[in-house]
Amino acid sequence: MEKRFELIASSEVLPPFRKELRHILARAGWEKKTAEEILLAVDEALTNVIRHAYHGNSGVITVLVKVVDDRIEIVLEDQGEKFDPTQVPPPKLPRHKPGGLGIHFIRTIMDEMIYDGQVPKGNRLRLIKRKTKI
Amino acid sequence: MKISVVGQGDIQVLELSGELDYHSSPELREKLAELTAKQAPKILINLSGVDYMDSSGIATFVEAFQKTKRYQGRFILAELTATVRSVFEIAKLDNIFEIAPTLAEAASRLGSKT
Repeated sequence: MEKRFELIASSEVLPPFRKELRHILARAGWEKKTAEEILLAVDEALTNVIRHAYHGNSGVITVLVKVVDDRIEIVLEDQGEKFDPTQVPPPKLPRHKPGGLGIHFIRTIMDEMIYDGQVPKGNRLRLIKRKTKI
Repeated sequence: MKISVVGQGDIQVLELSGELDYHSSPELREKLAELTAKQAPKILINLSGVDYMDSSGIATFVEAFQKTKRYQGRFILAELTATVRSVFEIAKLDNIFEIAPTLAEAASRLGSKT
Protein backbone atom coordinates (compact mmCIF):
# COMPACT_ATOMS: atom_id res chain seq x y z
CA MET A 1 0.00 0.00 0.00
CA GLU A 2 1.28 3.43 -0.88
CA LYS A 3 -0.38 6.80 -0.40
CA ARG A 4 0.89 10.28 -1.20
CA PHE A 5 -0.23 13.46 0.55
CA GLU A 6 0.39 17.04 -0.55
CA LEU A 7 0.17 19.22 2.53
CA ILE A 8 0.29 22.97 2.94
CA ALA A 9 3.06 23.83 5.40
CA SER A 10 0.73 25.09 8.10
CA SER A 11 -0.11 23.80 11.57
CA GLU A 12 -3.82 23.46 10.73
CA VAL A 13 -3.08 20.52 8.40
CA LEU A 14 -1.67 18.44 11.26
CA PRO A 15 -4.92 17.16 12.88
CA PRO A 16 -6.57 16.00 9.59
CA PHE A 17 -3.31 14.39 8.43
CA ARG A 18 -2.99 12.50 11.72
CA LYS A 19 -6.55 11.25 11.25
CA GLU A 20 -5.63 9.83 7.81
CA LEU A 21 -2.42 8.26 9.08
CA ARG A 22 -4.26 6.79 12.08
CA HIS A 23 -6.60 4.98 9.65
CA ILE A 24 -3.66 3.69 7.58
CA LEU A 25 -1.88 2.37 10.68
CA ALA A 26 -5.03 0.67 11.97
CA ARG A 27 -5.67 -0.97 8.60
CA ALA A 28 -2.06 -2.17 8.50
CA GLY A 29 -2.56 -3.90 11.85
CA TRP A 30 -0.40 -1.71 14.10
CA GLU A 31 -1.40 -1.94 17.74
CA LYS A 32 -2.77 1.31 19.17
CA LYS A 33 0.15 2.27 21.43
CA THR A 34 2.77 1.91 18.69
CA ALA A 35 0.46 3.55 16.14
CA GLU A 36 0.06 6.60 18.41
CA GLU A 37 3.85 6.78 18.81
CA ILE A 38 4.39 6.65 15.03
CA LEU A 39 1.80 9.42 14.67
CA LEU A 40 3.74 11.48 17.18
CA ALA A 41 7.06 10.95 15.37
CA VAL A 42 5.61 11.92 11.97
CA ASP A 43 3.81 14.89 13.51
CA GLU A 44 7.09 16.11 15.02
CA ALA A 45 8.86 15.74 11.67
CA LEU A 46 6.12 17.76 9.94
CA THR A 47 6.24 20.42 12.66
CA ASN A 48 10.00 20.71 12.14
CA VAL A 49 9.49 21.31 8.41
CA ILE A 50 6.87 24.01 9.13
CA ARG A 51 9.10 25.69 11.73
CA HIS A 52 12.65 25.17 10.51
CA ALA A 53 12.46 24.62 6.74
CA TYR A 54 9.65 27.05 5.91
CA HIS A 55 9.94 29.26 9.04
CA GLY A 56 6.16 29.63 9.12
CA ASN A 57 6.05 30.83 5.48
CA SER A 58 3.93 29.17 2.82
CA GLY A 59 5.15 26.01 1.15
CA VAL A 60 4.27 22.43 0.34
CA ILE A 61 5.20 19.23 2.13
CA THR A 62 4.87 15.94 0.26
CA VAL A 63 4.36 12.92 2.47
CA LEU A 64 4.63 9.43 1.03
CA VAL A 65 3.36 6.64 3.28
CA LYS A 66 4.41 3.12 2.31
CA VAL A 67 3.21 0.00 4.09
CA VAL A 68 5.40 -2.94 3.11
CA ASP A 69 5.17 -6.30 4.86
CA ASP A 70 5.89 -5.64 8.54
CA ARG A 71 7.13 -2.10 8.23
CA ILE A 72 5.89 1.39 7.56
CA GLU A 73 8.00 3.97 5.80
CA ILE A 74 7.15 7.67 5.69
CA VAL A 75 9.05 10.00 3.37
CA LEU A 76 8.72 13.75 3.86
CA GLU A 77 9.87 16.13 1.13
CA ASP A 78 9.85 19.92 1.15
CA GLN A 79 11.32 22.82 -0.80
CA GLY A 80 12.30 24.88 2.23
CA GLU A 81 15.61 25.78 3.81
CA LYS A 82 18.03 22.91 4.49
CA PHE A 83 17.45 21.38 7.90
CA ASP A 84 19.04 18.06 8.86
CA PRO A 85 17.45 16.74 12.07
CA THR A 86 19.95 13.87 12.27
CA GLN A 87 22.66 16.44 13.04
CA VAL A 88 20.85 17.83 16.08
CA PRO A 89 22.57 16.46 19.21
CA PRO A 90 20.42 14.46 21.64
CA PRO A 91 19.03 16.58 24.48
CA LYS A 92 20.05 16.05 28.08
CA LEU A 93 16.94 14.66 29.78
CA PRO A 94 14.88 15.65 31.58
CA ARG A 95 14.81 19.11 30.03
CA HIS A 96 13.78 21.81 32.45
CA LYS A 97 13.31 24.35 29.66
CA PRO A 98 10.53 24.27 27.06
CA GLY A 99 11.34 22.89 23.61
CA GLY A 100 14.01 20.66 22.08
CA LEU A 101 12.14 17.35 22.39
CA GLY A 102 10.65 16.78 18.92
CA ILE A 103 13.71 15.15 17.34
CA HIS A 104 14.28 13.12 20.52
CA PHE A 105 10.75 11.73 20.08
CA ILE A 106 11.43 10.79 16.43
CA ARG A 107 14.74 9.09 17.33
CA THR A 108 13.21 7.21 20.26
CA ILE A 109 10.13 5.98 18.41
CA MET A 110 11.31 5.19 14.88
CA ASP A 111 13.81 2.47 13.95
CA GLU A 112 15.44 4.65 11.32
CA MET A 113 15.59 8.37 10.55
CA ILE A 114 17.49 8.95 7.31
CA TYR A 115 18.17 12.43 5.96
CA ASP A 116 18.99 12.71 2.26
CA GLY A 117 21.47 15.56 1.91
CA GLN A 118 21.77 14.97 -1.86
CA VAL A 119 18.48 16.54 -2.91
CA PRO A 120 19.33 19.77 -4.78
CA LYS A 121 16.66 21.85 -3.07
CA GLY A 122 14.79 21.41 0.19
CA ASN A 123 14.83 18.33 2.36
CA ARG A 124 14.00 14.65 2.17
CA LEU A 125 13.58 12.66 5.37
CA ARG A 126 12.75 8.95 5.61
CA LEU A 127 11.28 7.49 8.77
CA ILE A 128 11.00 3.72 9.13
CA LYS A 129 9.35 1.59 11.79
CA ARG A 130 9.24 -2.20 11.86
CA LYS A 131 6.79 -4.36 13.75
CA THR A 132 9.54 -6.79 14.65
CA LYS A 133 13.02 -5.70 15.68
CA ILE A 134 15.90 -6.89 13.50
CA MET B 1 -8.92 21.65 21.41
CA LYS B 2 -11.40 22.94 23.96
CA ILE B 3 -10.15 24.78 27.03
CA SER B 4 -12.23 25.94 29.95
CA VAL B 5 -10.98 27.57 33.12
CA VAL B 6 -12.98 27.08 36.30
CA GLY B 7 -12.12 28.65 39.63
CA GLN B 8 -12.63 26.36 42.64
CA GLY B 9 -11.64 28.39 45.68
CA ASP B 10 -7.99 29.25 45.24
CA ILE B 11 -7.54 26.50 42.61
CA GLN B 12 -7.74 27.30 38.90
CA VAL B 13 -8.84 24.15 37.07
CA LEU B 14 -8.14 23.94 33.35
CA GLU B 15 -10.32 21.35 31.62
CA LEU B 16 -8.78 20.36 28.29
CA SER B 17 -10.24 18.17 25.61
CA GLY B 18 -9.16 17.20 22.12
CA GLU B 19 -5.68 17.11 20.62
CA LEU B 20 -2.84 19.21 21.97
CA ASP B 21 -0.31 19.90 19.22
CA TYR B 22 1.67 22.64 17.47
CA HIS B 23 -1.62 23.99 16.11
CA SER B 24 -3.59 24.14 19.37
CA SER B 25 -0.84 24.73 21.96
CA PRO B 26 -0.61 28.55 21.43
CA GLU B 27 -4.16 28.94 22.78
CA LEU B 28 -3.32 26.89 25.87
CA ARG B 29 -0.07 28.81 26.29
CA GLU B 30 -2.04 32.05 26.28
CA LYS B 31 -4.50 30.82 28.94
CA LEU B 32 -1.68 29.59 31.16
CA ALA B 33 0.26 32.84 30.67
CA GLU B 34 -2.80 34.77 31.93
CA LEU B 35 -2.91 32.63 35.07
CA THR B 36 0.82 32.75 35.78
CA ALA B 37 0.93 36.52 35.08
CA LYS B 38 -1.47 37.04 37.97
CA GLN B 39 0.43 34.44 39.99
CA ALA B 40 -2.45 32.00 40.38
CA PRO B 41 -1.33 30.03 43.47
CA LYS B 42 -2.70 26.62 42.42
CA ILE B 43 -3.18 25.42 38.84
CA LEU B 44 -4.74 22.02 38.15
CA ILE B 45 -4.81 20.66 34.60
CA ASN B 46 -7.45 18.02 33.86
CA LEU B 47 -6.08 15.98 30.93
CA SER B 48 -8.73 13.25 30.89
CA GLY B 49 -10.13 14.54 27.59
CA VAL B 50 -6.78 14.89 25.81
CA ASP B 51 -6.19 11.92 23.54
CA TYR B 52 -3.10 13.26 21.75
CA MET B 53 -0.19 15.48 22.73
CA ASP B 54 3.09 16.38 21.00
CA SER B 55 6.27 18.15 22.10
CA SER B 56 4.58 21.56 21.72
CA GLY B 57 2.08 20.53 24.38
CA ILE B 58 4.85 19.35 26.69
CA ALA B 59 6.78 22.61 26.11
CA THR B 60 3.67 24.60 27.06
CA PHE B 61 3.40 22.73 30.36
CA VAL B 62 7.14 23.01 31.09
CA GLU B 63 6.98 26.78 30.59
CA ALA B 64 3.95 27.23 32.88
CA PHE B 65 5.39 24.85 35.48
CA GLN B 66 8.67 26.81 35.63
CA LYS B 67 6.77 30.09 35.99
CA THR B 68 4.65 28.79 38.89
CA LYS B 69 7.78 27.50 40.62
CA ARG B 70 9.32 30.99 40.44
CA TYR B 71 6.50 32.44 42.53
CA GLN B 72 6.12 29.32 44.74
CA GLY B 73 2.85 28.32 43.07
CA ARG B 74 1.62 24.74 42.59
CA PHE B 75 1.05 23.11 39.20
CA ILE B 76 -0.55 19.66 39.01
CA LEU B 77 -1.51 17.51 36.04
CA ALA B 78 -4.35 15.03 36.57
CA GLU B 79 -6.05 12.11 34.86
CA LEU B 80 -3.55 11.57 32.05
CA THR B 81 -4.68 9.24 29.28
CA ALA B 82 -2.30 6.39 28.41
CA THR B 83 -1.20 8.16 25.23
CA VAL B 84 -0.38 11.41 27.00
CA ARG B 85 1.40 9.64 29.86
CA SER B 86 3.55 7.83 27.33
CA VAL B 87 4.69 11.17 25.88
CA PHE B 88 5.74 12.40 29.34
CA GLU B 89 7.62 9.12 29.84
CA ILE B 90 9.51 9.37 26.52
CA ALA B 91 10.51 12.91 27.55
CA LYS B 92 11.50 11.57 31.00
CA LEU B 93 9.32 14.29 32.51
CA ASP B 94 6.89 11.98 34.31
CA ASN B 95 8.92 12.34 37.52
CA ILE B 96 9.48 16.07 37.16
CA PHE B 97 5.85 17.15 37.00
CA GLU B 98 3.45 16.52 39.84
CA ILE B 99 0.97 14.06 38.33
CA ALA B 100 -2.18 12.90 40.12
CA PRO B 101 -4.21 9.86 39.03
CA THR B 102 -7.56 11.56 39.64
CA LEU B 103 -8.97 15.07 39.92
CA ALA B 104 -10.08 14.37 43.49
CA GLU B 105 -6.56 13.29 44.42
CA ALA B 106 -5.09 16.42 42.78
CA ALA B 107 -7.56 18.68 44.57
CA SER B 108 -6.84 16.92 47.85
CA ARG B 109 -3.09 17.46 47.41
CA LEU B 110 -3.82 21.13 46.77
CA GLY B 111 -5.85 21.31 49.97
CA SER B 112 -9.36 21.41 48.59
CA LYS B 113 -12.14 19.19 47.30
CA THR B 114 -13.66 19.12 43.80
